[in-house]
Amino acid sequence: MRADVRDKLASLPEDERVLLRPLVDTSPRFYMVAAVLAAVVVWGFVAYYLQVRYGLGRTGLNRPEYWGIYIICFVFFIGISHAGTLISAILRVSQAEWRRSITRSAELITVLVIGFGAIQPIIDLGRPDRLLNVVFHAQLRSPLLWDVISIGLYFTSCTIYLYVPLLPDLAIIRDSGIKAPRLYRFLAAGYQDTVVQRARLERVIAILSVAVIPIAISVHTIIGWIFAMTLRPMWHSTIFGPYFVIGAIHSGIAAILVAMVVLRRVYGLEHYFRAVHFDYLGKMLLILSCLWFYFTFAEHLTVLYGAEPAEMRTFWAKISGRYAVPFWTMVGGCFLVPFVLMARRATRTPAGVFIAGIAVVIGMWLERYNIVVPTSVNPIWEMEAIGRYLPSWIEISIMAGALAGFTLLYMVATKFVPIVSIWEIKEARAVVEEVAERVRRYSSGFTTPKLTDSA
Amino acid sequence: MTRWGMVIDLDRCTGCAACEVACKSENNIATVPSRQADMGRAISWMKVMTEVEGEFPNNTLQFYPRPCMHCDNPPCITVCPVRATYINDEGLVGQIYPRCIGCRYCANACPYTVKYFNWYGPEWSESERRHLNPDVSVRPKGVIEKCTFCHHRLQKAREAARAEGRVLREEDYQPACAEVCPTGAIVFGDLDNPNHRVAELKEDPRAMRLLEDLGTQPKVYYLRSRQ
Amino acid sequence: MSVTRREFVWTAGAAAAALAFQRGQDIFWTPPQLPDAGWDPGIESRLTSTCLLCPARCGLQGRTVDGRLVRIAGNRLHPMSKGGVCARGVAGVQMLYHPERIATPLQRIGPRGSGQWEAVEPEAALTLLADRLAALRDAGRPEGLALLAGYCAGTMQDLWRQFLATYGSPNYIADDYPDGTEQIAALMHGIPRRPAYDLEQSDLILSFGAPLFESWWSPVQAFAGFARPGDESGERPRLIQVDTRFSKTAARAHTWVGVRPQTHAVLALGIAYVLIRDQLYDVDFVARHVNGFEDFRDASGRLHEGYLSRVVRHYRPEEVSASTGVPIETITSLARALAASRRSVVIAGSDVMLSPNGLLAGLAVHSLNVLMGRINRPGGIAFGDDPPLAPVGPSRHVRLPRIGTMPPFGPGDPALEFATAVGRGEGPAVEALLLYYANPLASSTHPERWRDALDRIPFVVSLSPFMDETTQHVDLVLPDLLPYERWQDAPAPASYPYPVWGVTQPLVEPPPGGIHTGNAMLAVAARLGGAVAAGLPYEDFTVLLKARARGLFEARRGMILGDEFERTHHRQMEERGWWLPEHEEFEPFWDDLVQRGGWTDLLRDYTDPDRLAQTPSGKVELLPAELLRALAVDGGGRQPYVDVAGLPLEGDDAFPLRLLPYRVSTLASGTLALEPWLAEQPDILQHVPWVPWVEVHPDTARSFGLDDGTLVWVSSARGRYQARCKHYRGTAPGHVNAPYGLRHPDGALASPLQLLDGSADPLTGLLSWSSTFVRLERA
Ligand SMILES: Nc1nc2c(c(=O)[nH]1)N[C@H]1C(S)=C(S)[C@@H](COP(=O)(O)OP(=O)(O)OC[C@H]3O[C@@H](n4cnc5c(=O)[nH]c(N)nc54)[C@H](O)[C@@H]3O)O[C@H]1N2
Ligand SMILES: Nc1nc2c(c(=O)[nH]1)N[C@H]1C(S)=C(S)[C@@H](COP(=O)(O)OP(=O)(O)OC[C@H]3O[C@@H](n4cnc5c(=O)[nH]c(N)nc54)[C@H](O)[C@@H]3O)O[C@H]1N2
Ligand code: SF4
Ligand code: SF4
Ligand code: SF4
Ligand code: SF4
Ligand code: SF4
Ligand SMILES: [Mo]
Repeated sequence: MRADVRDKLASLPEDERVLLRPLVDTSPRFYMVAAVLAAVVVWGFVAYYLQVRYGLGRTGLNRPEYWGIYIICFVFFIGISHAGTLISAILRVSQAEWRRSITRSAELITVLVIGFGAIQPIIDLGRPDRLLNVVFHAQLRSPLLWDVISIGLYFTSCTIYLYVPLLPDLAIIRDSGIKAPRLYRFLAAGYQDTVVQRARLERVIAILSVAVIPIAISVHTIIGWIFAMTLRPMWHSTIFGPYFVIGAIHSGIAAILVAMVVLRRVYGLEHYFRAVHFDYLGKMLLILSCLWFYFTFAEHLTVLYGAEPAEMRTFWAKISGRYAVPFWTMVGGCFLVPFVLMARRATRTPAGVFIAGIAVVIGMWLERYNIVVPTSVNPIWEMEAIGRYLPSWIEISIMAGALAGFTLLYMVATKFVPIVSIWEIKEARAVVEEVAERVRRYSSGFTTPKLTDSA
Repeated sequence: MTRWGMVIDLDRCTGCAACEVACKSENNIATVPSRQADMGRAISWMKVMTEVEGEFPNNTLQFYPRPCMHCDNPPCITVCPVRATYINDEGLVGQIYPRCIGCRYCANACPYTVKYFNWYGPEWSESERRHLNPDVSVRPKGVIEKCTFCHHRLQKAREAARAEGRVLREEDYQPACAEVCPTGAIVFGDLDNPNHRVAELKEDPRAMRLLEDLGTQPKVYYLRSRQ
Repeated sequence: MSVTRREFVWTAGAAAAALAFQRGQDIFWTPPQLPDAGWDPGIESRLTSTCLLCPARCGLQGRTVDGRLVRIAGNRLHPMSKGGVCARGVAGVQMLYHPERIATPLQRIGPRGSGQWEAVEPEAALTLLADRLAALRDAGRPEGLALLAGYCAGTMQDLWRQFLATYGSPNYIADDYPDGTEQIAALMHGIPRRPAYDLEQSDLILSFGAPLFESWWSPVQAFAGFARPGDESGERPRLIQVDTRFSKTAARAHTWVGVRPQTHAVLALGIAYVLIRDQLYDVDFVARHVNGFEDFRDASGRLHEGYLSRVVRHYRPEEVSASTGVPIETITSLARALAASRRSVVIAGSDVMLSPNGLLAGLAVHSLNVLMGRINRPGGIAFGDDPPLAPVGPSRHVRLPRIGTMPPFGPGDPALEFATAVGRGEGPAVEALLLYYANPLASSTHPERWRDALDRIPFVVSLSPFMDETTQHVDLVLPDLLPYERWQDAPAPASYPYPVWGVTQPLVEPPPGGIHTGNAMLAVAARLGGAVAAGLPYEDFTVLLKARARGLFEARRGMILGDEFERTHHRQMEERGWWLPEHEEFEPFWDDLVQRGGWTDLLRDYTDPDRLAQTPSGKVELLPAELLRALAVDGGGRQPYVDVAGLPLEGDDAFPLRLLPYRVSTLASGTLALEPWLAEQPDILQHVPWVPWVEVHPDTARSFGLDDGTLVWVSSARGRYQARCKHYRGTAPGHVNAPYGLRHPDGALASPLQLLDGSADPLTGLLSWSSTFVRLERA
């Protein structure tokens, strides 16, 4: 760190000092990790190049397994993206005070991960060069097109929803002069944190946080509908919309938790990501794992009772057949592990949350696998042979590239924006009394709820 | 109203697969190398499906030659984001290869698994390229293809009929598979035209359609075997 | 304001990305493969011809565009195939454009088998061959010339015979599908000709192991017979398939009866027992036209047990059931079905004869036709006749013995006999060998003997248009044109009851350096001069064909192929004794014949006693004296018809599974690789693309730890090959059904025939195809 920057940083108030430090102070470990991730990304690009050059034949896809890793990752990434915006919006709308330190990291996940999700179906295209046909020859009856629209809308609104609450922080950085003055002058777009501006800002945020909720729900509903609108066994199900939304939020929260634990460790944010956050989010994870289980159970039970031969083939393939291992691992990861860990306060700690989060993230990836693959390989018409699917190294590489790319971008983003919203924290401190009062109550578990909590 | 359709008599079909090969020949279907075929990437717009039941020596079996059903209510077309698969007013379900983006959504939506994807570009040896049929376009890599009811033959037959100033007759437009079938199991024609054999055959008590309960309204009828 | 800035950035970014993609498309997008430049609709023609890919000789129609063959479909005027073709016939376009075809003559320059060749001009190649043959003849050793010929019924065969006869060699070695039925007809009917089956008029087809819908003589004839119109009025035949595996034919049959290998004849005699016991057979026919039914005395006065006593004594349903594995009720119901039908026909598949008791077994199966009086009756067994062609030349006979020994009642495997004798240096030295439609290094059950034989023959010429195994080891390749490029005639197969003379005409231009083998041999004959030239005085093969067709023109019978209506009309006229020429002149007759695809005569004389039996007694012999004599001399204690006991039904520990080879319907030629379209789907029951397979019952396979699809070695005491192990519930436990002639993608042959243990029927010399035991091991 340059001396002048260090001086400037030292002269800032405490919150700024701590939260802006990562923007100017980068450890060698960061560079090492970034380099490794960048290498994986490059590798993924090479794989994609080969796929485009020679054709989708380079994947392990076939007939009837038309969709594989890319579509799994598509659903998975978009699912993760529900982390941020949706949760932060809900928390903002409900004015939960404890949200203040976590919204930023969550929203950042959203914006970055949508991009990685949105490119998956493009990677999956046989003719990416004709992508614009989706515009020129759009057929609005196709759920795929609804998806293009809803994801586009979601991405735009999330980006705005990330950007607008960033403005005061960008202004703080600009004013502190610790980094890239021209860039931040541009980004801060003349925000001066006047009373009028602040009031406007809060109005816009309030509107956005309401608007973004239905959009977020629609996105994953529609992804569920992509499957549900076909006649394929165990896809053609009305439960898929809400089921996908629940799953998305489930994986989203898990992803936030994992990110929070890591950020906390790496950037020393113990002050900001506190026990109360892990406790509350842990409880949310608990609720969602139960909901997830409920949906999964309901879905499979209806199939079992319907006893349609084609559905039963898929069903048994999951329960006890070729896909039993991913299926039961999924149940473990999405339900058992988080349930056991999050049900007890003693394990709603960063460590416990971290394990549960990882389990859910893996479990939710497998959930998508279990939705996409066992159905894909099993055609409705029983005369058609059951297929097989083994992803090729190209697919694995591209998936690794996408994961690495996301992580890398997230890491880099923490070098450009404070990962905890400085102005919101400061705002909180302004009402320090109330906050202190609340924190006391949060940390002493469930006491008689007060109306002010939600008011 | 013209509605092209097919009736396949399972009581006659001997599973000789001449229809499969005739279709491959007529429609320039490229073969894929053996490893690709093992992966399930071979293309066969017409496919004779079989399923052996029972134990030696009490086995039974039914052959089901399976082209595209040209559903009247085709689930494959509604899902296509770019309208690259469509149904025309004579009931033929077609593909627009140059427009298809290769998302394979239609393939997933088709309950009869008749859609085939070009995982790689088609390949013929230099000499074999000579047997390609100039009436049918060669599909590039990355797009979906399927049975077209030999639509190109209809176009040619129409032109010929117009040139000769007469109406189109049943025998003018016969797809390649029906043309070669040595047992006459495949009958093709206009389901709505009482002069065509299919119109009568589809009313046969043995007539049925595949996965009828899905409501796809296939225009390929099967006559159950009498066995 | 910030929004506009963003917008600007976004728009610019998107534009840049779109541009980059546009560029990228050129950089790394491989353009789709398109056919030749100048791709346009082109000039189209449709020509009639006949398929030569298997003995069935179906009528076909080729569609060409700008001189390229793009499609093969059927010829509706052909009376046997009726517009149908099989999968392999349709795939013929890929054979024509096979990347490995040889278009010009090649002369060996390196050592044999080194693959070093030099292209030679056709003229030079012909001179080379003619000089060599002239020298051999002039040295007084014409018998040193031998020809190994695969299936080539018709004028090509006649030409070869004429060539060899006038040249002075007896060594026409035929490798042409002997199945023993000819011997049965000779013994029982005194007619040395394969029986034909009038499937078109049968109401019940009872097939003993004949894979009617797969290989047999003519699958398309079987298709047309099976699926003929008129099913609403109950006109369509019932098909009952007796088989050792659940074949495609068995699958489509109305009833299928699984039997143990080599016990078909026992089942047939069990049926005969019921027919006799219940008096269901044609008593009148047997009394009037059959010898040997009752006990009888031969010329020397010895008393012989007749058919009746033998059947009644040995083939009681209980015993038959125990031996064949077929339930007693089934045996009875089969007999009842035969009795109930008016126009039944019983077919003995070649595998009935390809067993150690083959001839006797074949006699037993055929005896059902006799019992039911189904000889020379509509829908029954027929002895057809040949089209009345003009002869190729004055007939000539060579008195020298052919190389190799001959069994008493049959051809045996003359090719193998020949190779064995030559390899051992027995008989006259063979100095020149011509290979026509023959690839013994791949097709022989004993390729090693052929290798030895070839080593001893100084001059070997292959006429194959493909670089097959044997062609790789010859001195001169004089490649024939492919069937779609040449003139040939194509008589209907022996299984078809009416004479049909199909014509094969070129659909496309031959390659510049190619020579039709017929033309090549006529040219060589001309160069050889003398008797050979005199015996084959034709400018080229077309002239020869036309000369022969004059016989049809002058025969005052039959018709040029026509549609259903024309055929019926013509037959009805002929039945009433009317025959009117359609053409006054030969040339228009010929043009019409070529245009319509051939000639046929659909009139049958059901009253002609010569079509029933030409034995000295004039009756059908159920126990031919010749046979009894041969059995007495060298029968090893065997008796007509078959021994129920004594068949090895189980293998041993080393080789526990019985091997049953069979032919897949897509195989175009015994040893040529499948065309890509077929290789992708060689058999619709098994779905194993490209790679040879064997079928095993799942329980049997699992007992050897073999999963579905495992690559295995199939080994017998004689050798082994690799194949994929397919679980198949249509295989009898303990058996391995092995399609023969398939190849691996690298060209390696998978030939169960080369595993055969070599046991043969001593009477016909035909190898037994179902006596070999094998084991399967993971490869
Ligand atoms: N597709 C096609 N057809 C052809 C040819 C071709 O190249 N392609 N070539 C022709 C040639 S060369 C020949 S030789 C013939 C071969 O044709 P076939 O002589 O008919 O021989 P396979 O097809 O091997 O048929 C063997 C059948 O016999 C059954 N079988 C097995 N064991 C026994 C047994 O112990 N007894 C009896 N009775 N049956 C048994 C098997 O199940 C199998 O169905 O085909 C001719 N037709
Ligand atoms: N591996 C294997 N062995 C077999 C068989 C099998 O199917 N597979 N079948 C067995 C039976 S039943 C028989 S009858 C024999 C048959 O065996 P072969 O008599 O050897 O006959 P094919 O293999 O049919 O054909 C021989 C060669 O003819 C050539 N040929 C193809 N087309 C033409 C043409 O148009 N003109 C000329 N001049 N030559 C041409 C090809 O090079 C081919 O290799 O083999 C027996 N052995
Ligand atoms: S060509 Fe006809 S008989 Fe042969 S498989 Fe096809 S439908 Fe069946
Ligand atoms: S069969 Fe499949 S591809 Fe054909 S129209 Fe119906 S849904 Fe579409
Ligand atoms: S693969 Fe092609 S035809 Fe099928 S849905 Fe996608 S764009 Fe449409
Ligand atoms: S109708 Fe034409 S395209 Fe369809 S299966 Fe038959 S031959 Fe093929
Ligand atoms: S059965 Fe034989 S002759 Fe007839 S089309 Fe098939 S291969 Fe050709
Ligand atoms: Mo043969």
